[in-house]
Amino acid sequence: MQGWVILALLLSLGVLHSRGQNGPSELAVPHSLTLQPDLPAQTLSLTWQSDSSLFDIEIFHTELMNVVLNETVAVTAGPVTGQRGWTWRSPSPLECTSHSVQIRARNQQSVSQWSPLQTIPGSDIPEKSESYMYPQDKVVPVGSNMTFCCIVKEKYNFKEIMYKGQTMNATRLSRRAYAITVTNQPASDNTGTNVVCCSPMFTLTGAVVFVGYPPGDEGLVCETRDLASAECSWKKGRDTHLRRKINRTNYTLNGRDCLEANEGKTWMCNWKVWEENWTLVARNPLGTVRLTDSAQLADRVHLLAPANVTAVEVEAWNATLKWSWPVAAYKKLEMICQLKLIGHELSSTRNYSGTGLSSVMLEDLWPDVDYTVTVRCGSKHAFWKSGDESAPYSIHTKMDRPDALDVWLWMDSSNTGRVFWKPLSERESHGALVGYKVSQSSAEEDMWTPVSLPPERLNYPIILNNSSDITVAVAAQNPAGLSQPSAVTTPAYRADSQLSVSELLGTHGTFELSWQPNANASRGYVVEWVPTGCRGLCPVNWEKVPESDRSFTVKPDSLEGGVRYTVSVYVLSAGAASLLQRWQGYSQEMIPAQSVVELSVNQTGSDVLLSWKASAMEHQRGFIRGYTIYLANAARLDLVANISDPEVRSYRVKGLPLSSYKFIVKAYTSAGEDMGLTVAIKMEIETAEMLFVGILVPLAAMFCCLILISICCYKKREWVKKAFYPEIPGPKVPGDWSSPQGPLDVKPSPHSLVHIVESPEWDFSKKGLVPVPEEEEEFENDNIEVDTDSDEPALLRYYNHVVGDGSHSNHVSDSSGSSTASGGSTQTEVTYTGIQSPSSSQGVCDGGGYRPQMQSAADPAEPQGEFEADFQDDSLNTGYKPQCSWQLDSPEAENLSGSLGSPTSVTSSQFLLPESSEEKPQSSNTWFHSFLSGKS
Amino acid sequence: MEGSANSDAPGTGRSATDNAARLARLLHRDCTRLLELYSERESFPSPHVPGGDRLVSLGPCPEPPTPGQQVGHVRSALRRCMELLECLIQREVEEMGEELAGEYESLRKAVRDRLGHLVHSTGALLGDEEGGCPPPPQIQCDEGQDEVEGSGSFAVKLWTYRVLLELIHWTESASHTLHVFHTETQQQQQQQIL
Repeated sequence: MQGWVILALLLSLGVLHSRGQNGPSELAVPHSLTLQPDLPAQTLSLTWQSDSSLFDIEIFHTELMNVVLNETVAVTAGPVTGQRGWTWRSPSPLECTSHSVQIRARNQQSVSQWSPLQTIPGSDIPEKSESYMYPQDKVVPVGSNMTFCCIVKEKYNFKEIMYKGQTMNATRLSRRAYAITVTNQPASDNTGTNVVCCSPMFTLTGAVVFVGYPPGDEGLVCETRDLASAECSWKKGRDTHLRRKINRTNYTLNGRDCLEANEGKTWMCNWKVWEENWTLVARNPLGTVRLTDSAQLADRVHLLAPANVTAVEVEAWNATLKWSWPVAAYKKLEMICQLKLIGHELSSTRNYSGTGLSSVMLEDLWPDVDYTVTVRCGSKHAFWKSGDESAPYSIHTKMDRPDALDVWLWMDSSNTGRVFWKPLSERESHGALVGYKVSQSSAEEDMWTPVSLPPERLNYPIILNNSSDITVAVAAQNPAGLSQPSAVTTPAYRADSQLSVSELLGTHGTFELSWQPNANASRGYVVEWVPTGCRGLCPVNWEKVPESDRSFTVKPDSLEGGVRYTVSVYVLSAGAASLLQRWQGYSQEMIPAQSVVELSVNQTGSDVLLSWKASAMEHQRGFIRGYTIYLANAARLDLVANISDPEVRSYRVKGLPLSSYKFIVKAYTSAGEDMGLTVAIKMEIETAEMLFVGILVPLAAMFCCLILISICCYKKREWVKKAFYPEIPGPKVPGDWSSPQGPLDVKPSPHSLVHIVESPEWDFSKKGLVPVPEEEEEFENDNIEVDTDSDEPALLRYYNHVVGDGSHSNHVSDSSGSSTASGGSTQTEVTYTGIQSPSSSQGVCDGGGYRPQMQSAADPAEPQGEFEADFQDDSLNTGYKPQCSWQLDSPEAENLSGSLGSPTSVTSSQFLLPESSEEKPQSSNTWFHSFLSGKS
Repeated sequence: MEGSANSDAPGTGRSATDNAARLARLLHRDCTRLLELYSERESFPSPHVPGGDRLVSLGPCPEPPTPGQQVGHVRSALRRCMELLECLIQREVEEMGEELAGEYESLRKAVRDRLGHLVHSTGALLGDEEGGCPPPPQIQCDEGQDEVEGSGSFAVKLWTYRVLLELIHWTESASHTLHVFHTETQQQQQQQIL
């Protein structure tokens, strides 16, 4: 406190000093300046006395002498007191720090001296050493700006001020006072927005600000429930965000507090007496809303719910309902009531009116049905709104006899049939059925024979013992009794074959029928549809058509796609029904379920005949419109034919080359083709053609070729002869060799081979071709080769292929010593084994075997045997010598003695011909040679 | 007083002292969580705690208390805490009504119920004898207004914060004291059996 006084004295001295500097002034100094703070409003009211009307006002934060206001204002004097007054609104709470005010009069450019400083102390004066924050618990609208200040406790340090948990920029106002300014504040949470002032260690102090909205209530409406009191309600507006009790919206209705509404529980206010004008005032610290309503009591009647709703009398088709009213005044009120009936698939609303209505009869109910009833009423005159609905009440109507059945008799043959009846719906049965009673009588026997059937049976078989018609009557039974019997007389059976049955095309899954009217149809018509061909217990459908109708549409729910139906129209008269018209058709055609059957294929020359049969009717699933024939070719089908006549069930495919074919035959309806049936055939040549083409033609061709070759060879025979058979000079031998030479047939003994043996102690007499017994083969040396090609190894036949002049000698040296040559005709094989050339081996047969004609006698390289030396003497002039050892070496020489000495040449064509010719067939050499040489 | 602790029948499972110790631990956790919820709701800066003396303080004991006397001492503090909590709930309901029904309000009610149960069970342990230490002065809600700094809503919030801190402190103390008491009681029972 002392410090504050000293500060004020210093400031006063300063002001006096400044006055002295300004010098004398003409304007009088304003005096009697007083300050009146309004802390909650943060305003400072100044009053002073002065003759001037224009003033300069300065306001400081006392401690730091910061100017917070320097303004020139024109102020008029009060009419009574003559005082002048002016109010300043501080942006910060006045408690934040001390404020000092001075004022001077102004007249244009001249001013008076400043008045003495007047100061209002803040809460930061030394006398108040605790922490404080301002303003406290202020309620402000959303979006407003505010300045908060914190006065720090003595000897504590300031750290920060936090607004809603966020640190704000603080401004220092004095030694202990700091301020923050928050702009555009958002709505507070439930308990307000906290502003906290902290030292480095502690929470020093804080404040709470409540940011919200003024009331937004609307739509006040008053009505009466008891024809006396008032009940006013309204719609709550937006959330004010002011939840503290002292900040909540306060409601008054015509000046009276609305207690429940003020608790925040309802938005309704009652008053025991109706007043025609109503005013609701909703008020909170941020604003006030005033709502009004005006109405007569009779115009605002909102009835309560009827109580104690009960059914006093319940029958099968009606019931009487009663209730009571909780308000006695309702008994005189003209009212209209609405009863809502809810049953199984049966719901309706019915209105009743009357004065004080409390009982109604409900008519047109259905038997054996559970109903739930609710009642609500309203004032009939000046209807305001429907009253509250009563609690649901359940009633169950009694049962009644069933309705008459819809009966039809379907004949599936001339003396058998079945009576059908349609099941009764819940509305028609009037109670759970316990069964059916079927009675039948014939015209001859006037006696009914009843049969009881369980409730699940819907048909009964009929057998006509004689030709007379019988009448069948069927009645349904429930606990309430039997229905009226429905009678039907057997219609005459008419097979389809006896009629001209028309084809019926379905339309969108339905059958649309029309027929010519019939004069006898006194009771109308019956349209009957049954799956075609069905026997026994078939799904028979029928519908009765009034006499006046000429058409009927069979609904798709009783039809199945792909099923052929027989649809008949009967004329109903007093007697039996008579057939008027019959169709067969599909409500929806589908592709056949099964293709053709018994598909066969037969070849006739280059043609193929396909034949088949149609599938069974139940598999057709539509009218067969024709057939298509495809030829399966790899992965595709080639259309061969499209047979549009379904009666044609064969087809001939003509002119097919020899090959294998696969045909597919498909039946088609208007819905398309089926998958088809496949048949395969391999085309073959017939026997006569096969003989001609297969045998005769190649033979003829071969003969032609042979003839051509023969002619050609004949023409060129000289050349051929030179090329293949040059002249071989005949041997010159002593003696008579001129006799014709015959073939030398050397037949070694069976199981022998010609074997050439070389042995040092070989005896001349042993040299030559030696037939070797077969058993010895495997013991011979490697130089011996076996004719493995010969089928007869034991048989060695030698043919002198070229007889007469046809001998060869020039190619002997080329023949391989180890060669094996085979030659022969179809009858003969000739095998030489072990005949070696002189150059390749020691001449096994050099002396005794074959020797070329021009062989040098003095060849030193060749070993010479004795035989050779002797032989050379004989052959000096001859050149060619026949082999000479056959007679000597052959173990069968004696047997062959008949042939020995014959001049027949033993030259072999294998040795004489070039090596290349070894493989040439030798079979026809003889005749060919003769042919070439022109001999026969 | 010591004799009353012997009411725990050995071998009958969990003893009354053990139950009380467990309840004190549970209550301590509940109070800690309650303060967390309150701090979250009010966006209080967590490192900053309000200054000031303890709301519940006990006078000095004439001589070192026995464990049984310590339990009685703590029980007296818990009774003051119970009174503070009742005042706290009353003030909040008066100010805000009973509209708010969040986790904080639910746990606040649970703490009140458990605290009452703990006071009752410790009283049963002690035979309703407070012991040798002088009990703290009884708290009246009206007097509580003087405790807070100023009369603004923020002062009430700070006071609430301090009450919750006091609850945490004394439930922790009760947990510790009851544990010690339970241990010593068991040891005495074992010695008697031997």
